[in-house]
Amino acid sequence: MDVLTNVFHGFGVALLPVNLLYCFIGVFIGTLVGVLPGIGPISAMSLLLPVTLSGTPESGIIMMAGIYYGSMYGGSTTSILVNIPGEAASVVTCLDGHQMAKQGRAGPALGISALGSFIAGTFALIALMLVAPKLASVAIAFGPAEYFSLMVLGLVVLTFLTQGSMAKALLMACIGIVLGLVGLDSITAQPRLTFGRIELIDGIGLVPVVMGLFGLAEVLINTEQAIKRDVINAKITQLLPNKDDWKRSAGPIGRGTLMGFFLGILPGGGAVVASFASYALEKRLSKTPERFGHGAIEGVAGPEAANNAAAGGAFIPLMTLGIPPNVVMALLLGAFVIHGLQPGPLLITQNPGLFWGIVASMYIGNAMLLVLNLPLIGMWVKLLKLPYNVLFPLIVLFTIIGVYCSSNNVFDVYVMIAFGIIGYFMRKFGYEPAPLVLAFVLGPLLENNLRKSLILSQGDLMTFVERPISAACLVLAAILLIVPMLPSLRRKRELVALDEGA
Amino acid sequence: MLRRNRIAFSLSIAAAAIATLGTATIVRAQDYPTKPITLIVPWPAGGSTDISMRAIADAASKHLGQPIAIDNKGGGGGTVGPATMAAAAKPDGYTISQIPITVFRLPLMQEVSWNPDKDFSYIIHLTGYTFGITTNAESQFKTWKDVVDFAKANPGKVTYATPGAGTSLHVGMEQIAAMAGIKLTQVPFKGGAETNAAVLGNHTMLQADSTGWRPLVDAGKLRLLMVWTDKRSPNFPDAPTLKESGYPMVYDSPFGIAGPKGMDPKIVAKLHDAFKKAIEDPAVIATLAKFDMIPNYKNTEDYKKFVVEVTASERKVIESIGLGKK
Repeated sequence: MDVLTNVFHGFGVALLPVNLLYCFIGVFIGTLVGVLPGIGPISAMSLLLPVTLSGTPESGIIMMAGIYYGSMYGGSTTSILVNIPGEAASVVTCLDGHQMAKQGRAGPALGISALGSFIAGTFALIALMLVAPKLASVAIAFGPAEYFSLMVLGLVVLTFLTQGSMAKALLMACIGIVLGLVGLDSITAQPRLTFGRIELIDGIGLVPVVMGLFGLAEVLINTEQAIKRDVINAKITQLLPNKDDWKRSAGPIGRGTLMGFFLGILPGGGAVVASFASYALEKRLSKTPERFGHGAIEGVAGPEAANNAAAGGAFIPLMTLGIPPNVVMALLLGAFVIHGLQPGPLLITQNPGLFWGIVASMYIGNAMLLVLNLPLIGMWVKLLKLPYNVLFPLIVLFTIIGVYCSSNNVFDVYVMIAFGIIGYFMRKFGYEPAPLVLAFVLGPLLENNLRKSLILSQGDLMTFVERPISAACLVLAAILLIVPMLPSLRRKRELVALDEGA
Repeated sequence: MLRRNRIAFSLSIAAAAIATLGTATIVRAQDYPTKPITLIVPWPAGGSTDISMRAIADAASKHLGQPIAIDNKGGGGGTVGPATMAAAAKPDGYTISQIPITVFRLPLMQEVSWNPDKDFSYIIHLTGYTFGITTNAESQFKTWKDVVDFAKANPGKVTYATPGAGTSLHVGMEQIAAMAGIKLTQVPFKGGAETNAAVLGNHTMLQADSTGWRPLVDAGKLRLLMVWTDKRSPNFPDAPTLKESGYPMVYDSPFGIAGPKGMDPKIVAKLHDAFKKAIEDPAVIATLAKFDMIPNYKNTEDYKKFVVEVTASERKVIESIGLGKK
């Protein structure tokens, strides 16, 4: 019952009026930056980091954490409404979320993503309280070989993302991988495909690519269509998910939560893989996979639950080992350090009030987010009724500001515009951007970990099968690739048999 | 070629302008600064360099009587900011930049748009980082000597994690290996978080990184074998320095600030004095200490000499590990 006393202690800290206030400010700002495309949690947190210096460490870190998970909530809003993912983890939400919005079901889509996120976030926090110290070892059990196999598994997911031609999807994935190669080679530090441009040394930014391919391309393709409002024409029937929506979403939320939590613990790409993998899993399990990509609510519920659970899981390596699994967590680590604290194995024992206070505040913050977000849904849906000649310039304006803010670099704005034009033509000719983005994110990780594992194993490829976690990932990937072929083979055989019979 | 001609042309115009307006410049230098100064920090906001530079700039602005605005212009391993400044900013003292060591190192590795010897007016050298080598607490290596002995018997078998290829940690380790006559294998990760995980999970034998390993060393999960600072770190009094271990060098990826070339020496002197007072400020020293940074003051002349020395020593190592410009 040690945990219970600690939890009570934590709530004691989190419920202090000043901490409640900071928590609210944090989730409020988080929701705002999540909703504004491009202005992600990273820019918001780095700008506000100095502000937290005046208060106690607890309140400062509670606010920073609030911005982080608040933005996870808000991020899905733009994906659903205007097809602009704020970050890689919400790319997959665009696929079905925006389709739902086009069918006049933006309300249920936003509702399920808020409620799914709440459920996943709550579960992740309870798990964080109960098993955090034990799971710390998971994060370090993953070496380069394990990551390589995990990335292979992640890329297999590509086969589930495609709605149209598989050949086109693979072509997009190849382009994504090549784009990911740009910049300094991560092993030898030689510049690759930079064409002598210093701006390309660090590679092409993810934010401009994603904003261009999704947001700007969406605007471009819409301007060419005759101004007919498909959104307004479709009657907005309801604001919240109905019974049928819930029945469809319960399973995806549960599975997404578990997957997100465990993948979120892993440093690097965990949340992205989790959201894509959840989508793939739901499509695979669904009796009606053809609905995916055309507004299936399962395709929103699962990935949204996964990326929020991943946000909770990500705290484990930070709090227990001092290892931040992503950039946002690294910023949070910075917040700890300027308050004179070092997250690490000693943090929980030396500073229990801080650790449990933060965890408890996240629980309170999650509840605040739900209260904050549900009433907003009605407002967001109304936003879609804005005339296109107002809405589109606004979207373009926000994407440009967002891209510029994320790097303070005009070059990135050009990159975004270029990808907007590329995305426009891709859409015209039926190429999908999601495989490109997935490959762009995972490709460099795959290459880097492959080469690192081979350095460590001195060129022995057996390392991938000898290590159990790695082998398990590879087997799972193989199963995922082979199994879908079996029923179709069978069906084909049956068809042939029928033909012969007739 | 065209670009170079244009620069030469505008330079000659500028020279002519300075010649005719010589008196006006002197008056301006005496009044300096009359408006806020922009300090380019070529790293993302919120990182250790950013936070420490903000503390230093805050203290310096009190002595200058004008606010210093921080402009985070990341990219190119910290070179895009200084390079942009060198190419575009006026040498009027209102745009200055933090100069990380990559500004000297990158030109040795590839074609770049700037020349570290000519394109900057160096102002003052400020501080550097604390680097160290750690190993898993359960490892067979109790001291750095154990590592050297093992590596001599098993060439190339000792693996070490760095936060990236071509970083100071990579270059420094190779320099140590060359002096010790051993061969080590680098495994480049991305940043300190990953190197911590690599050595904790026994994926690599050693870790070479800045003090991100501190909580793990304090908790007894990692063992600190050596630090690369000039003197022993007050936070880890038991860890020997490079010099004590028999390698006569200090490796701390030092940094200072500079403006575009052609700055008025009087303005340089004013900035130098303000920043010198800043790094003597106890509050600034306390902020730096949180990141295990210790002020490492060099005046304008010494800083210039240091740039030449560092370029020469870096060139040797970069070429020996095969990263040199082709």
